[in-house]
Amino acid sequence: MATFDMRNERAEAGATEAVQTQAFDVVVIGGGPAGMAAALAAHKAGARVAIVEREQHLGGILRQCIHPGFGLSHFKQELTGPEYAQRFIDQVRATDIALFLGSMVLGIDSGESTEDDALHTVMLMSPTGMLQLTGRAVVLAMGCRERTRSEIKIPGSRPAGVFTAGLAQRYINVENLKPGSRAVILGSGDIGLIMARRCTLEGISVEGVYELMPYANGLRRNVKNCLDDFGIPLHLSTTVTRVIGHDRVEAVEVSQVDEHLAPIPGTERVVPCDTLLLSVGLIPENELSVAAGVELDPRTRGAVVDQNLQTGVPGIFACGNVLHVHDLSDNVTTESERAGAAAAAWALGAVGTAAGVADAGCELTVSPAGIAGYALPGRITTVGLTKLNFRVRRPVDAARVRILAGDEELFAGKVRPFKPSVMESFPLPAKVIQQALDLGTSEIVLSVDPVEEA
Amino acid sequence: MTETFDIAIVGAGITGCAIARQLARYDLSICVVEAANDVALGASKANGGLVHAGYDPAPGTVKAQVNARGCELYGTWAQELGVLFCRTGSMVLGFSDEDRAHLEKLRQNGLANGVPELAIIGPDRIHELEPRASADATCALWCPSTGYVDPFEVAIAALENAVANGVTFMRSAPVEAIEVAGGEATDGAARFTLVTPAGDVRCRYLINAAGNGAANISHMAGAEEFQMVWRQGNIVVLDKEPRALMPLYPVPTPVSKGVIVTGTVHGNTVITATAAVREPGDTQTYAADVNALLAGARKLVPDLDTRRVVRAFAGGHPVIQGTNDFFIGQSAVVPGLFQAAGIQSPGVASAPAIAERMELVMREAGVELHERADWNPIRRAPDDFDRAPLARKEELIKSDPAWGQIVCRCETVPEAEIVAAIRRRPGAVSVEGVKRRCRAGMGRCQSGFCQSRVVAILARELGCDPSEVLLEDTGSWLVEGPLKGVR
Repeated sequence: MATFDMRNERAEAGATEAVQTQAFDVVVIGGGPAGMAAALAAHKAGARVAIVEREQHLGGILRQCIHPGFGLSHFKQELTGPEYAQRFIDQVRATDIALFLGSMVLGIDSGESTEDDALHTVMLMSPTGMLQLTGRAVVLAMGCRERTRSEIKIPGSRPAGVFTAGLAQRYINVENLKPGSRAVILGSGDIGLIMARRCTLEGISVEGVYELMPYANGLRRNVKNCLDDFGIPLHLSTTVTRVIGHDRVEAVEVSQVDEHLAPIPGTERVVPCDTLLLSVGLIPENELSVAAGVELDPRTRGAVVDQNLQTGVPGIFACGNVLHVHDLSDNVTTESERAGAAAAAWALGAVGTAAGVADAGCELTVSPAGIAGYALPGRITTVGLTKLNFRVRRPVDAARVRILAGDEELFAGKVRPFKPSVMESFPLPAKVIQQALDLGTSEIVLSVDPVEEA
Repeated sequence: MTETFDIAIVGAGITGCAIARQLARYDLSICVVEAANDVALGASKANGGLVHAGYDPAPGTVKAQVNARGCELYGTWAQELGVLFCRTGSMVLGFSDEDRAHLEKLRQNGLANGVPELAIIGPDRIHELEPRASADATCALWCPSTGYVDPFEVAIAALENAVANGVTFMRSAPVEAIEVAGGEATDGAARFTLVTPAGDVRCRYLINAAGNGAANISHMAGAEEFQMVWRQGNIVVLDKEPRALMPLYPVPTPVSKGVIVTGTVHGNTVITATAAVREPGDTQTYAADVNALLAGARKLVPDLDTRRVVRAFAGGHPVIQGTNDFFIGQSAVVPGLFQAAGIQSPGVASAPAIAERMELVMREAGVELHERADWNPIRRAPDDFDRAPLARKEELIKSDPAWGQIVCRCETVPEAEIVAAIRRRPGAVSVEGVKRRCRAGMGRCQSGFCQSRVVAILARELGCDPSEVLLEDTGSWLVEGPLKGVR
């Protein structure tokens, strides 16, 4: 990443002219649901806010999510993705939030990380030129990308016709182009399920949805509405073991997998098709964050944050799918409003008044255990009611959340079922944090433990 | 339609492109005839980009001569062609006394082949040179002249330079038959006629640089009969690292250099390659091969994060059955036919020297080579937005706002760079062709975000419908066409 000095308004040595600089309190990177909610919350708190968005339009990936199911908790009504996005676009447009559209951030320079009052400088490219924005706070809201065929190492040939589900969704919903006639879908994540229905409605026959795990990965409502209602078969514990076809996909070979998820020899079956859609996971897009010095949690592949969604770099906050992959946009909105408000509080120096300033002596790390795949935030620096998010790694009918400090159990929740498709939210009472501190511990553990039925 | 040239080169892999560039300086009409629709689509594509130094070929072989010389020439070639070349040096890591004895043999071999500055080094020096090399390595052969290139870029740049100097490039022209008239090779008559679906090509001299198709071309011309073995290699590309790794080799086996880990000019890590004899034409990746690569790489670089696979691919190395050597020379059966066959590994490293040797062979055969006054060895590299300094970025966007319009976010490729890749000569005609020229779609999302945009730009630039845009070659359509009649 290029470095440049932002306190002195001259750009890096060698530049023939200084890059234009504009100053803000909060710079939000990403104009999807996370970025818009964060920007609106920061604006409401009195901050001068900028949104930088790669596309020519606000809305992010919601623009191509034309199915319903959005807004049920936030607006108490069912909206499509573009409708949900539009509500926020209208709100943003009604403010003086500065919009940098068609603009991509190339780097964030945070100066010396030890200086708490450091300005962050965000370098961006746009069709009107290079530009730098300064902000006391930066909110990372870049969203996520889809896992690819290469990442899951599907062997075979490399013809045209292998698409991530989101790319196929873009072809169909935005470009009005038909990516094929006969599709196999690998992965029962929500995008895969929604695309199974979408393809069927557009006259693309869906031969089946194949899922490596012994359970569906998407929300239950999507399995019902998108597969069951259309008679599309879901093959569990089955995966694609070979792509066949030299120029265009001609078929895929599928195999059943054993309890270690390894293909079982002898179970191979060739399924003729011209298209393979992959819905095999989402990965927070944090290359920019890493280059800016933000530490990531290997479990979420998002930033390690505190209860205010502040990363390890003072003044840089993260929210939405760039932080951890959500199942519902409504949750992204709620989380991002918190990040935006905290960023504004930081930028305006009002941290002490809001849920902001670190309580002296409060420095706890939060780790997952049991079947919890991750715990967020990873750090707690304030004694106060703290929202903990987590997902379980496998479905269970009966389990409970426990909060542990060393050998002590500080809290035990109700026994209930858990599913990996659902991002769980759990309010951690202030008194539990205080208890942990009183024990002199520096780590608390969020453990989700299956309970044996009597 | 028949066109006549002094020389026809069959095959636009790195070998054919390098030869075309070498001969373009002479007052000759030259045509490069390629079966596929773009440059470097065969063996050159299945390559890790290493410019091996030349210590492994057996002394006295053709390979031994052209490998070390090719490695030496890369400095000049890279400068003239404006391609990225990093001469990083490399280490062959040894883990035992037995390995150390092998390394010593390898060093002697290298000295015989003229490879400069080879040294056996110990653990301290190993970890000074590459801190991520396995702590278990007790000794290594240090070879400062090894480097790496982007093999697509080298082939494309060499052909661009040749075309700028008057060479004709015929794509999608698989040679279906070769007619050879009687007479002497040097009597000036165009004795060879290549029959292709894109039109016939007549020429006085024919150069066979057809890679895996070389045996077939030789057979069609009535020249030497040989068989090709499809030695298939799987290769894995990992995501970018803050600092590119130095090439690290294991102690080689009799047929292969083993699983090598290397950085690339773009900062990725490449793990190359397995070697298994498979059915000709098999470019599939295999789970066992990919796993062997990842395991082999971890032996050399234990902290390598092998989950970050950006791409796995495979291809065949053109090996002539019964020999492990290159075949470079005039046919003993059909005078006027020049062979550059069996160019397997280290074909990329040797390419500039193969071209140089081909020139010498032709000169000795009596082909008259008169240097042209207007020959220009310099190819101005196209602008690479991601690598451009800030001031240049500003200039580019001022010159055309499309330089500020991002298309590929992983590799920071703006629209204008893609348009330039399509408009270059010879330009990209497919999504993969765009990728090989400017890296749009080469990154971690593997074109999930940019493919539909690249398709739209190709359709606009080539004046065709999106349904006619190809991923690679004929038949590799990406979309069927519009879903609905709404406009």
